[in-house]
Amino acid sequence: MFLDHSQIAPARVSEVLGAAEAAARAVPPAFPLDATVAVNPFLGQTGEDLAAASARLARVSGTRITQSGEAYGQAIRDGRIEECDLAAALDANTSPLKHTSIAALKLAASALGENPPTPALPTVADLAARASGIDWPSVINKTFGMWAAGHFDRGQALWSPTPGAEAFAAWRAWASHDLTPEVAGLNGFCAHVAAAPDTTERAILFASDRLGLSGEAAETAFHRLYMSLGGWAQHARWILWQAELAGETDATIADLLAIRLIWEEALLEKFPEITEEWTDTLAGHAAPVEPTQDQVTLAILQDAADRAHQRRLTAALDGSDTLERRPELQAAFCIDVRSEVFRRALESVDSGIETIGFAGFFGLPIAHRPHGSDLVQNRLPVLLNAGLETTSEGDPQADQDNRIRARTARAFGRFKQAAVSSFAFVESMGPFYAVSLVKDALGIGKGKAWSAESADPMPEVIGGLSSKMKVDTAQTVLGAMSMRANFGKVVLLLGHGGNVTNNPHESAYHCGACGGHAGDVSARVLAGMLNDPETRVGLSERGTHVPEDTVFIAGLHDTTTDAITLYEQDVDTGEHDMHMIHNWLEEAKWIARAERAPRLPGAKWQSLDARAANWAETRPEWGLAGCGAFIAAPRAATAGKDLGGRAFLHSYDWQGDEGFGVLELILTAPVVVASWISLQYFGSSVAPDVFGGGNKLIHNVVGGVGVIEGNSGRLRAGLPWQGVHDGEQLMHEPLRLSVMIEAPREAILEVLENHPNVCELFDNGWLHLFTLKDGRVDARYRPGLNFEDEITEAALAA
Amino acid sequence: MITVLSLSFLAPVVLLLAAVVASLRPGRRPGLTPRLSEGTALFALALTVGGLLQVVVGTADDLAFLSGPALLSLRADLVSSTMAVLIGFIGWIVMRYSRTYLDGEAREGAFHALMLTTLASVLVFAQAGSFTTLVLATLAVGLTLKRLLLFYPDRAEAQRAATKFALVWHAGDALLIVAMALVFAKFGVLDLRELAISASDQGLGVMGTAAVALIVIAAALKTASFPLHGWLTEVMEAPTPVSALLHAGIINSGGVLLIANANLVQQSPGAMAVLVVIGGLTALFGAAVMLTQSAVKTSLAWSTVSQMGFMILQCGLGLWTLALLHIVAHSLYKAHAFLSSGGAVEEVAKVRRPGPVATASVRKVLNSFALAIALYAGIAALFTLGFGSKTPQALALGTILIFGVAYMVAQGLADLAPRKLTRRLVASSAVAAIAYFSFQVAAQAIWGPLLPAAPTPGPLEWALIVIAVISFGMVAFAQALFPLWAHHPSTAGLRVHLANGLYLNALLDRAIGGFAATKSTTQ
Repeated sequence: MFLDHSQIAPARVSEVLGAAEAAARAVPPAFPLDATVAVNPFLGQTGEDLAAASARLARVSGTRITQSGEAYGQAIRDGRIEECDLAAALDANTSPLKHTSIAALKLAASALGENPPTPALPTVADLAARASGIDWPSVINKTFGMWAAGHFDRGQALWSPTPGAEAFAAWRAWASHDLTPEVAGLNGFCAHVAAAPDTTERAILFASDRLGLSGEAAETAFHRLYMSLGGWAQHARWILWQAELAGETDATIADLLAIRLIWEEALLEKFPEITEEWTDTLAGHAAPVEPTQDQVTLAILQDAADRAHQRRLTAALDGSDTLERRPELQAAFCIDVRSEVFRRALESVDSGIETIGFAGFFGLPIAHRPHGSDLVQNRLPVLLNAGLETTSEGDPQADQDNRIRARTARAFGRFKQAAVSSFAFVESMGPFYAVSLVKDALGIGKGKAWSAESADPMPEVIGGLSSKMKVDTAQTVLGAMSMRANFGKVVLLLGHGGNVTNNPHESAYHCGACGGHAGDVSARVLAGMLNDPETRVGLSERGTHVPEDTVFIAGLHDTTTDAITLYEQDVDTGEHDMHMIHNWLEEAKWIARAERAPRLPGAKWQSLDARAANWAETRPEWGLAGCGAFIAAPRAATAGKDLGGRAFLHSYDWQGDEGFGVLELILTAPVVVASWISLQYFGSSVAPDVFGGGNKLIHNVVGGVGVIEGNSGRLRAGLPWQGVHDGEQLMHEPLRLSVMIEAPREAILEVLENHPNVCELFDNGWLHLFTLKDGRVDARYRPGLNFEDEITEAALAA
Repeated sequence: MITVLSLSFLAPVVLLLAAVVASLRPGRRPGLTPRLSEGTALFALALTVGGLLQVVVGTADDLAFLSGPALLSLRADLVSSTMAVLIGFIGWIVMRYSRTYLDGEAREGAFHALMLTTLASVLVFAQAGSFTTLVLATLAVGLTLKRLLLFYPDRAEAQRAATKFALVWHAGDALLIVAMALVFAKFGVLDLRELAISASDQGLGVMGTAAVALIVIAAALKTASFPLHGWLTEVMEAPTPVSALLHAGIINSGGVLLIANANLVQQSPGAMAVLVVIGGLTALFGAAVMLTQSAVKTSLAWSTVSQMGFMILQCGLGLWTLALLHIVAHSLYKAHAFLSSGGAVEEVAKVRRPGPVATASVRKVLNSFALAIALYAGIAALFTLGFGSKTPQALALGTILIFGVAYMVAQGLADLAPRKLTRRLVASSAVAAIAYFSFQVAAQAIWGPLLPAAPTPGPLEWALIVIAVISFGMVAFAQALFPLWAHHPSTAGLRVHLANGLYLNALLDRAIGGFAATKSTTQ
């Protein structure tokens, strides 16, 4: 972020810039909505546990990151959390503030009640607002938001600022012209900005100096300012994330801190009467971050809630089934919890069907250019860099025609937006919108979201792949899927995508492993590769024998309607009875719908298509809400068990995993992605004001990158309230994910030892870890690289 | 022929009945209320269509209660019935949308009740036959809309927006009440048709002129005209269907007010000139600000400011039928734009997909203007042959609009634009121009007989026409050359000032305490 300053700068400079960097890294990145993925909102706090993170975030944002005491109390009264869960949670807790008995814990829980979060430490703007009666935080939100909306705009406004300018320079140019703060009463702000130092680092140092920010106080004081910028800080953190992934760096997020500090400094200068309160606040920031008694109580209660869920889960996992004959149909799905319901449904249709779970990008790090488009989509987990360029350009003439159509539509869009021509637009085209209104109101004429006919041409790897690369890739992917023998006659590779209308958060319903895109392209590329005779020969030479009559067919699971699209046009399906397969998929669709529909308010199993096409629908599906477990084991361990659409299921057979390379991959990639997803749902549920995307009913899309509420100016990252709540209750039970892996304990510990970043997630309780043995829970991970036998009822019964 | 009351008058009644039923269950998931409110809105639409048909076949009667200053009446003619159908249609669309969209809200039932009441008030306003009815209806619209804007009462931004709205809206109402008193004192009647006749017979006099001035100001306030436009650009604090109804139904009140009093207003050349100036200024100002807005609903709100300005300009030029056409066309477009604003993420991505935009050089822009004007001359000549000659005002307006079409042609003529794109865009321009003139002819045929014809321009009118054409032409030309100057450092300051709407709203905020901290912000 900054140049390396530790060698050249005096200690104080180094201290302040170091604090700025730490504060910036405490902010989670927010991915733009055109391809958004779930991010762990506590990404910057994984080095500490829930209670300490509670204390930190309460200080800098005034939010509580657990449920209320009342919610836990209710769960205890309802019997969802039992005595044994409380006892285990209390026992596992290591805080000096923990309760001496279960009775004391229960008493503390009931004393907490609705316990409203304590307010954050004030900013200078907050203090100035109290002193002057002018709502400075709101003025900052509005004016900063107006600038940021333009600066980060990707094409909403016709008149955007000069592209390519650095954020701090661009803001200085803006703020030295913007008279709004002066109109609001901050005289001389333009001049103040113009006179501020012209580099980010000097501006931060200069303002920090004026504000008396140094030493211990700086980090959380800076963090507090970042939190006051809401999603804009997270957007800037995303820019840094992308830069670092590419091996570069970016200073935008530091620029935002400099901007916010200049505001603070100006307000303190304008209202000297708040100096004393500000000094007190600084003392508050300088104090070490330590959880209060209430925060410790809440953390213990959350652990008890996690354990209650684990208790039910371990009871459900009562041993493996076995299936030994060659399946008629194998279907590989994404590990996404939504596929658990469908997999169970599909397997129940016929005993010749077997399903497999694997990350929805199928291990292919694809950067894809769709038909008629210049934009490259990174269809892979955001932790990775793309390594395979593909395109659906197809016939160049058709591609060109498509572009001309798109450009005509774009020119028409500009005709609609531009000065003067907008009047001509309304008078010539306005009346035709009566037709659009009727069509959209009735949800007709939209066309199917996913269909084989309307799909792009089959994606191809740009430049082609050498025979060796094909075989290498195929072997790696099949190994990672634990598919080494016993291939079915037909193998479906099913990516997934949501199906929503008029929804800014559409990409949040798509596949996180595909970078917020649908999984169709990855599945089609892999199917093409595995059907390639060259690949088959090479695999055979290396000992993986795919029967000659096996055919791989790519498809897409529409998670909103549970319809499956198969891209049969890509492949010769030969002798296989596709009619039967379609019947099976159709039957499974209705079974899955019957299970899912009752949870959607007002939905019936027949009405899911209509809901998907309804432009006013705010809850088309529940996405990954409810997710609570990640299970990496052979399907035999989970087949036939109702996991309620709440578990990520990764097929994994440790006995075939030589050197435990696949285990390492699972723990470092899909587990981390799943933890991001589960913690995003967690954060959006328990702290909707800070880590949630706000109320869909008043969303106002900004710059094509995010949403604000109404005209507030503050960008909102995270999931909208309607995505986790049905109006009456939370639809996501806020739990930390329970990871269960069927593998030897030592092998797991070795991986954790080599990956401290992953290990700290388990050590600090952001994830729970268990081993399975023959489909039953065998041991629980204890912080500090230990496993402890877990005696479960299922084990006792067996 | 036997005449009966227009069915359209029943529409507000059934809506109010449904509102009463809805208000009985104001909370979350109120049983059948959402279905009932959509069903009622659809029924109300059917009634308004029935009313329109009655008017067309000549069997619709007006409705009147009481008399003198208390005269409450509704009128049934082609203008009021068209507006009623438009509002009925928008009403059905937004209520259908709300049925799904509001599901699960804590005050879901109350929302339906308020929306239905607002809708009923707007329908009464649009069909008002007397000044008293107009005033009562607009008061009711203001009161219910304010409560809708406070649907999330804890939001400080919502409180500010609602306060500002109520202030401007009810200031307009106050002016209308004074205007009503003046009109009654002067002419002794408040029936709008009789007023039109009296005004033509007796002239306005001092009191009449003052009344017209107040009506004009009230219309400017209610259409969010420069410089008190600020209330409209902040009201996206309420759920999207409220914005749709506001921008497609309620905001038309100012226009309806002027059109309902067209005969009165046109008696005053001064008032007409003021309308041209306010309208033209607002149209250009709003359009320029809109260019800089990156939030989709905010940008749409500025677009409404500018479109309403354009409508006021049309009124000022005496092109009443075109103003009415503009109201209808704009409402349909804007309702759709708001309700579909959730698609903005995808829309922005779509813009970026086919690669960079081809930029037109100065020469090409000049060519495109020449081409567009030639196109206009051709089409105008054809339409003149077919439908009779046009007034200078109508020709001027046509020229302004064709400047807009030139912008599309310019994009097609850009050097880097492929031949195929050029052909498609020129064809689209021709289609747009023909559609525009066709709608115009249709509007004239339907409403022309009911509304005064544009006055014969005197020196003042000519001056205003020339100024309008030149200023719109200059802006259009600058717009077409936009990529050549928009990022020049010298314009950076201009962009900042425009993005902030020239601070007029901030100044208003300062004047009325809009920056003040509220309870929810300082605890």
